[in-house]
Amino acid sequence: MISRGERSAHYLILIVFSIAALWPVVTILASAFGPAGADAGPGVAGLHPENFATAWREGHFTQYMTNSVLVSALVVTLAVICSVLAGYAFGTMTFRGSGVLFYLFLLGIMVPAEAIVVPLFFDLRQLELIDTIWAVALPQVAQSIAFGTYWMRTYFRSSNRSIAEAARLDGAGSGQSLWLIELPIARPAIVTLVVLVFMWTWNEFLIPLVMSPSGNMRTAPLGLAFFQGQYSTNTALMGAAAVLVALPVLVVYLFLQRHFIQGMVDGAVKD
Amino acid sequence: MSVSPVRLLAATVAAAALALTSGCAPGANTAEPSAASSGPVSVDVAAMGEITLTVWDQEVRGSQNDEIEALNAAFQEKYPNITIDRNAQSFDDLAKTLRLALSGSDAPDVVEANNSRSQMGAFVEAGQIVSLEPYAEAYGWRDRYPESVLGLSSYSADATTFGSGNLYGLPQMGEIVGVYYNKAKLAALGLAVPTTWAEFTDQLAVAKAAGETPLALGDLEKWPAIHVFGPIQGAHTPADQVRALALGNPGGDWTDATNTAAATELSEWVSAGYLNEDVLGSKYDDVVARFGEGTGVFLLAGSWNTAALDPVMGDNLGFFAPPPAVAGDAPSTTGGTSLPFTVTSASEHPDAGAAYIDFLTSDDAMKVLAETGNLPVLGSAALAPTSGGGKDVYAAYELVTTEGNLLPYLDYATPTFSDTLGAALQDLLAGKQTPEQFTQTLQADYGAFVGE
Amino acid sequence: MARSSASRTGGSARRGGTTHHASRGHGPLTPYLFILPAFAIYGAFLLFPLARSAQFSLFAWDTVSPAVFVGFDNYLDLARDDVLRSSFGHAFVLIFFYAVLPLGVGLVLAAILNRAKVRGMAFFRTVVFLPQVIAMVVVAVAWTRLYATDGSINALLDLVGLGEWSRAWLGDYLFALPAVGLIGSWVETGLVTILLLAGMGRTPQDLYEAARLDGAGAVREFFAITLPSVRGEIAVALTLTIVAALKTFDLIYMTTRGGPGNSTTVPSYQVYYQAFQLGQVGTAAAIGVTLTALIFGINAGLTHLADRATS
Repeated sequence: MISRGERSAHYLILIVFSIAALWPVVTILASAFGPAGADAGPGVAGLHPENFATAWREGHFTQYMTNSVLVSALVVTLAVICSVLAGYAFGTMTFRGSGVLFYLFLLGIMVPAEAIVVPLFFDLRQLELIDTIWAVALPQVAQSIAFGTYWMRTYFRSSNRSIAEAARLDGAGSGQSLWLIELPIARPAIVTLVVLVFMWTWNEFLIPLVMSPSGNMRTAPLGLAFFQGQYSTNTALMGAAAVLVALPVLVVYLFLQRHFIQGMVDGAVKD
Repeated sequence: MSVSPVRLLAATVAAAALALTSGCAPGANTAEPSAASSGPVSVDVAAMGEITLTVWDQEVRGSQNDEIEALNAAFQEKYPNITIDRNAQSFDDLAKTLRLALSGSDAPDVVEANNSRSQMGAFVEAGQIVSLEPYAEAYGWRDRYPESVLGLSSYSADATTFGSGNLYGLPQMGEIVGVYYNKAKLAALGLAVPTTWAEFTDQLAVAKAAGETPLALGDLEKWPAIHVFGPIQGAHTPADQVRALALGNPGGDWTDATNTAAATELSEWVSAGYLNEDVLGSKYDDVVARFGEGTGVFLLAGSWNTAALDPVMGDNLGFFAPPPAVAGDAPSTTGGTSLPFTVTSASEHPDAGAAYIDFLTSDDAMKVLAETGNLPVLGSAALAPTSGGGKDVYAAYELVTTEGNLLPYLDYATPTFSDTLGAALQDLLAGKQTPEQFTQTLQADYGAFVGE
Repeated sequence: MARSSASRTGGSARRGGTTHHASRGHGPLTPYLFILPAFAIYGAFLLFPLARSAQFSLFAWDTVSPAVFVGFDNYLDLARDDVLRSSFGHAFVLIFFYAVLPLGVGLVLAAILNRAKVRGMAFFRTVVFLPQVIAMVVVAVAWTRLYATDGSINALLDLVGLGEWSRAWLGDYLFALPAVGLIGSWVETGLVTILLLAGMGRTPQDLYEAARLDGAGAVREFFAITLPSVRGEIAVALTLTIVAALKTFDLIYMTTRGGPGNSTTVPSYQVYYQAFQLGQVGTAAAIGVTLTALIFGINAGLTHLADRATS
């Protein structure tokens, strides 16, 4: 029913859009491996992998990457634990006020960081928390909890309850049955939540910019922004630095892309 | 699943009510910045104990970076009990983040702050940087620096008056905005360094006719065009008028005939094609690099660019002060000093910070500045290099500071003027505003500030 | 997609009021104890600052002198000040590029791909979704290169004989905002396409077969079957992308910083600039609150439309 011509057209469309999606990525890779200056030498087979070492050193990425890893680890750990607990309660238990409370959590999914960052800065300064990892991480934990609670509630509501029921009849409490029975089964949903929260935290810009005014807790994307201020004329080093910042999420994406796509597509539609 | 708008609204209102009733007004219990100890200041650095001094500077360009690194190393060698924790970022990034940094609880000890009302003025008003008067006395800075330089880092304690009052910072380098030129290209066009402003503008036409880019400018960041407009204004507007406008003190008028004539001249340059076409889409540093590689006959820009241009162009690089309207008159152009180093109120080691600033501006430091290819603010005549673009820069700076008028940067004027002027200049360059609209835009900002 | 933009609308119809799955093997306090840690952090670091923002927006505060209560003056300033007002105008232009354009492209693309199950779909999904996972600062660095005078966009124009159109895109009053917007289109199109493909995949195939037996062409098939069946996904896609458009901060910060002139300044950029560069905290809070209200309003509107469509 579908003609050869139409089929060729399909492939053409796939190819054109794939190229469009990859073009900027290839551009940045190409400049990252290009010569960083007139005295860059011939390089390795015409490529210049030494740019990455130079960019890492000149851009102080040891500090920025360490910060990014610490902040991401903290946000993912706290957000996932809190979300699983809250999602489990909302998804499997009946209690007064569950509807209102849940809507309150849903509200947070739509609140942009721009709306909270100004009072957060001044209030956290008052509490002398500014410039600590907590000031950078906790607002992001709060944002992630809004999505995570929703995501885990959806999962627990649709999961098979009979096993848990059986466990309860065997005398297991809520905590026990969550820990021993539910979590192992919920692993795919939790992995999705982990990778999404990791990606959001790694890529976040505004919150670490404002919450670490002294620069001590600046994360990798900020490192790139400040690197650009100093090395904008050197496209090779800029490209290398950009690749370094994007790489960790890209690697996770290539291995766990199913979770990214499912999380963002299903998370948006499913109930 | 769907979220009912009514429920959303109810939840929002509930949350808002919660805060309005429980929260206090913004800043209600903001602690007053701890007044710096009014006791005697110490200049005995070795006796200050183990100290880490956090310093924010914007000296990221080649030779400027060399200079700071050399002086930081020397300082730490001289005083092993002090560790410098340096945080360098570009001029633009510093402008974006410095106010935030000084508002934080972990503010740096020493920062380079723009003399402008948007930075130094705001920090003085907020009590975020300390008056250096006691240190000026202790170290004899008033003998070291001429009054004209110290004035540009002085404000009244309430920050209303700019140009006099307490001293808040010290600069390392002199700056003059002038004309870089490509010697080979100028010679090829059969031209010599112009002696009058009219001769200079005629040369732009000659260069254009010969198919060259007469003037190179990258204005993506908005502020670079200020350094093109400044010299033009210097050729049209009396110096004391420019000073009043630039310092945000009463007495100036942006809409007068001289300023309008300056704006008209700039817009005519654009329509005549004297500037490269990608002015607004190109970064400042990129175009300077392009000029170094041979695109453009002239570059109207600040003397700090020698750092990037001299290594590339060497003896092919020339520099002259913007010529006066009448041959033989004293030239007027934008300039002054590099960003002054200041000590923050949050610093626990103001004495050490002041000692560091003293070190950065000592006679020995001036030698290091000259050796690394920068223009020291003091003693430039004695330290001048004998060749390269740097030699011309020293001569022009000497000429303008001794005989001419070094006019303050125009963006000093009001807390918002840097953005107002930067955006208005882009509008003027793109033909979005007429010269008259341009001067009215500026007068609105300046007038509102002066009139308050 | 950022975490705060994953708004839920439309999709499947609401489930009935049954308390299915409810396990009653817990004490009366147990659910609250489970929710407590999440709510403590969420309340302290999101709900409370949101309410504080609303409160800040009613004050004029320069971070130095005591705050002065000014009622709704800061909101009136948003309407009165040319630059602030235009920043919201720019946000709506970005909505076109982030939401409307990707939706149009995504619909066509997904409909075509859905008609024919071609090989290489897995690869295609991985590739077109890629822009979603790259940090916006990195995206900005890449596109700044593409838009440069000597970048590949201008090179391409030269190649196809449109050399006179080449320019410094991000420095052009007319084209800077669309140029930034197109970066948004590039980021969002993949997400929208995959969302719609998933929706179309759920559409019963026998509907299509019946239509084809009736001799319906691709176009009629699209309007009669495909489009109505993905109304929910369209609402979701629009919400996600519109919110992303309204939150454009890092992209502007990295590419144009609001220029040339003020032609690309947007509300989220103004929040940062007003609060942390100018020290106009009340104005900044008012912009943030208005932005949130806009997002809630648009979300509510789209939910309403999707609900009407499904009922």
